[in-house]
This record gives sequence, C-alpha cells and structure tokens, in this order.
Amino acid sequence: MKDEIKQNNIPVLELNDITMRFGVLTVLNGVSFSVPEGNILVMIGPNGAGKSTLLKLISGLILPQKGDILYHGKRINGIAPDKITSLGITQLFQDIQLFSNMSVIENVMVGCHLRARTGLLSSGLRLPSGRVDERNMFDTAMTHLSMVGLEDKASSNPNSLSWGQQKLVGLARALATGSRLLLLDEPYSGLLTFEVNKLNNLILELKKKGITSLIVEHLTDILMGIADQVIVLDYGEKIADGTPSEVQKNKRVIEAYLGEQVTEE
Amino acid sequence: MPFNVRDMIEKTGRISSTNQQYLAAGMFTILIMTIPLGAGAYPNTVMIEVAFYSIVTMGLIMLTGFTGQISLGHAALFGCGAYVSAILTTRYLVPPWPALFLAAGFTGAIAYAVGRAMFRLHGLILAGVTLALNLLFYYLIGSISGLTGGAMGIMNIPPLSVAGYTSQSVLFNYYLLWTIAILLLIFSLNLADSRFGRALRSINTHAGGSEEAAQVLGVNIMKYKVWVFVLSAVYASIAGSVYAHYTRIIEPNTFMLQFSALVALMAIIGGRSSPWGAFLGAGLIVSIRQLLREFMPLIIGGPTGSYELIAYGVILVVALLFLPQGLFPIVKKAILRRKPVSQ
Repeated sequence: MKDEIKQNNIPVLELNDITMRFGVLTVLNGVSFSVPEGNILVMIGPNGAGKSTLLKLISGLILPQKGDILYHGKRINGIAPDKITSLGITQLFQDIQLFSNMSVIENVMVGCHLRARTGLLSSGLRLPSGRVDERNMFDTAMTHLSMVGLEDKASSNPNSLSWGQQKLVGLARALATGSRLLLLDEPYSGLLTFEVNKLNNLILELKKKGITSLIVEHLTDILMGIADQVIVLDYGEKIADGTPSEVQKNKRVIEAYLGEQVTEE
Repeated sequence: MPFNVRDMIEKTGRISSTNQQYLAAGMFTILIMTIPLGAGAYPNTVMIEVAFYSIVTMGLIMLTGFTGQISLGHAALFGCGAYVSAILTTRYLVPPWPALFLAAGFTGAIAYAVGRAMFRLHGLILAGVTLALNLLFYYLIGSISGLTGGAMGIMNIPPLSVAGYTSQSVLFNYYLLWTIAILLLIFSLNLADSRFGRALRSINTHAGGSEEAAQVLGVNIMKYKVWVFVLSAVYASIAGSVYAHYTRIIEPNTFMLQFSALVALMAIIGGRSSPWGAFLGAGLIVSIRQLLREFMPLIIGGPTGSYELIAYGVILVVALLFLPQGLFPIVKKAILRRKPVSQ
C-alpha cells in the first residue's frame, strides 16, 4: 500500500548516486534517496559526513561530479542557483549569512526578490509600477517577519539581534522566496530551549502547508519527534533511511553513530 | 503618498528616509545653484571640474560601494564617452545631444560585453584586468588615429546647447553640468533604496553581503554585477561627453591611469557607502589639487607635477588609516546631530 503511493506520486526531491570529491577526500559517495512532498526529512551524521555539501549541491551552489538531482522529476543539477530558487528550492545556511549592510526588513525583502520585476530604470526613476512592487514586497516581507514573531525588529540591523533571532530572520527571509522545499543547515545550533520549540512549531506549521523540509542536524532527540523520515550519513555514505523508529533500531546506525552515545550513557 | 522602505524604517537613524534624502538633495541644489551668484569665474571653473569628477565618482561608488566590485579603469569609460561624442559631432555632424546619448549607449554596450567576461574574476585579478583595459583604451586611441586624431586629439568640438541657446560661458556650463550631476544623484539615491539596489547590496561581500545567500534567494549575481557596471559606464560616458563639448578639444593623455586613480581616490575619501560621497571626495580632492598647483611652486619652485602625485599618495594612506569609510559617515552624523536641536 505504502509502496503504491510512492510510485504514484513523484517525489519532490530525488537524488541518484551523488558523488563528490574534494581532492583525495571523498565527501559524498554514491548517495541516493528520495523525499515525498510535505515530508520532514532529517539528515544526521557526524561532522564531515558530507551533509552541508549535500545541501549546497541541491541548491546549485556546487555541482556534483557524478549523479543526478531531480526536483519533481526534473533534473536540476547544472542549473544556476538563482534559477533553482525560482523553481521553489531555497536554503538556510548554518551561519545564516544575513546581510549586515541592510535592515532586517530589507533582508526579508531580498527574499521577495523573485516576486517582482522592477528593473534598473523603474528603480532609478521611481516609476509608479516600481512603487507598487515595493509596497507589495514590503507587505509580503512583513507578513513573513511576523510569522516568526519578529515584526518589531523590522528596522534593526541584523547584527543587533540575538543568534536565535537571526536564525528566525534567516528562516523568514528563506520563506519569503515562496519556496516549497526548504534546505535547513543546522537550524537548531545555538538556539535556546524556547527557541528550539518555536522552530519545531514553525516547521510543523510549514508541513501543514505542504512545504517540504530537509533538515541537517546533530541533535537527534529533538528532531525524532517531528521527523517523517531520517537519513544517516557516515563518511559520505548513506547507512540508513527510514522512519525515526526504524533508523533507531538499525544496527549500522547504532554502531556508527548512536551506539557510541548509548554506551557512554 | 509615494511609498518606500526608508520612510517605514526611518526611526533607526542608521538609514535616513527617502524624504530626508530628497530634502538634502533639495538643499544641496539650492546651495549649488546660488554659489555662482557670489563667486567669480575662477571658483566657478573649479566647481565645473568638481561636477565632472562627481559624476564619474558616483558611477564608481555604485559599482564599488554598493556592489563591492573594483574598477581601476574608469578613465577609459570617461574617455569612450568623450571620443564617441567628439567623433560623431566633428566627423559625422551629429548634433551634440543625440551624440551624447549615442555615446552613452555605445559605452554601455562595451561595458556589457566586457562585464560579461570580466565578472567571472574576483578581487585583485579583477582590479588588474580593469587597469589593463584602461591601458588598452589608451593605446587603441593612439593607433586608430584616422578616427581619433591620435596624439593630436580632436579639436573644434561643438558646444552643447539648451533650447537653442549655446554658450561657452562659465556660468552656462556650470548650471548645465550641475543640473546633470544632481539628476544623476537623485537617480542613484532612488536606486540604492529599491529592489535593484538591495540586490546590489546583497552581493557586496566587502560590506556584509553574501553572494551565496543572495543566490539562494533568487538574485542572479552575474546579471547585477554586469548591469551595475553598465550603469557606472553610462555615468562616466555622460561626464565624458559633456567634458568634450565643454573643453571643445580632447587628447588621449587625459584618459590615462592617473584619472582612474584619482576617481578611485575620490570615492575612498568621500565615502563609498553613498552617492553623496562622490561630491565630498571630488570637492576635496579638486580643491587640494588647486591649492597645490598655486602654492607648491611658491614653496618649492620649478615644476610640481610629481609633488601632486605624492600628495595624493599621502592623502590616500591617511584616509585608509583614519577614515576607512570616508568622509560621508562623519558629515552625515554631524548634520543629523544638529537637526533635533534646531527643531
């Protein structure tokens, strides 16, 4: 029954045999998996397991040496990153990378970049069409900022915010692109407990809207509760792929990753 | 009621509102337009030179200050505008104004083609390529002497006219140039606070932008680098065309590396973060140059050309050490601080 559904629905994201080497170091070795639409996929693995590289491959910032990446069944590797964003994929970086040369709301408005077409002349001459676009982008950005509860920080400089607030602005900025697939690189790192819960609720909220999240993380406990699917990477290879309970029972996972923690406890 | 972001967020104080910017531009216009009433021909001539440099520097500030890209070859773009205008008006008898627009279009097209290839490079390599392009332009002008007059240059370039009125008087050129400079200032201010301007700032890795973040938000970074370079080239070209029609004679030495270096210096001294920096930088450097030219011979005696260069070097070092952001942030702070007191 479950297999039938998977066959009928083309997965939102599919990776086939992705391999990536930096010099002699093999970062990813023949990694394949697929994500059904609306799923929360959590990818775990020790440092250097190739998780961040994998996200940058999907968002087009780096090109795979071997293998294919399919989005709704269409090959996207080799397409420019901004074009991939226009297809509906965006990424939140581990270090967020907010633009500190503009205010919080302007950051989120850059997220609205693809929602308008105002060009050089209508910007410089402040033509009426450009002003309408500007108003709409501001409103959209404000909506996304209030979604993460930070509308009162609109005029602040991102550097003046706490780490957790910066993460939320980064998420608002990513959501403002209107993307349907979110690639979140360690969104939980450095968050306080109440912020972790807030982020959990936000991601579940997005799932209700049919948005797919691919989360790379270390903190397994927190995420097992919300994950639909868990993938474990170890030294660039996929060693497990399944529901949280399946993966937790997987022998290779216990040996390679969870096992060490269990014995330590 | 026109809407813009800066009005919504003016309370930060970090970013001034567009209305404040327009108010400042209005006051600046009044100041500039009243200067000739009290000043003689000499200061007015100097101010005309300030206007030329301001326009080129403003273009460079959009490229460097907004977007974080380097150009050490703006003299070539300035020269391209000057030569195309001069050639069209003297050899093909095109009227000056259409020639100015054709020159701007031509220079922009060249910048587009060059930019497409050039912006695959970064940092110092990019700086080196722009420097090389400046030299290339210089030698090209020398080698196609049939068209450009070679080292002799082009003479008898017709002056610009406004509504049928042509004049070679200082006042006419003063008002013409400063009108163009202020219109381009307003264009730059509008651009900075727009979708286009935010895209430019988002890729400025020297000032807190991030190319990777911009890309995953849908910004085509190559496109924006190329188009801001085109815009910067058009500014330089307009200044070049007006220069040719003002001096009525051009020769290749004007468009050598020293001009490019001088414009870069003006952007650094004035402040790269805002188009306003162009006027501060150009005003200061041109004033210093005039003072040096007048007083250095009295102190040292003999030719002083090389001392001028040494002075620029010293100014640059001092500025980079003590004013890495240029004069603009300091001037802005001083003006904004005074404001609440008067209210």
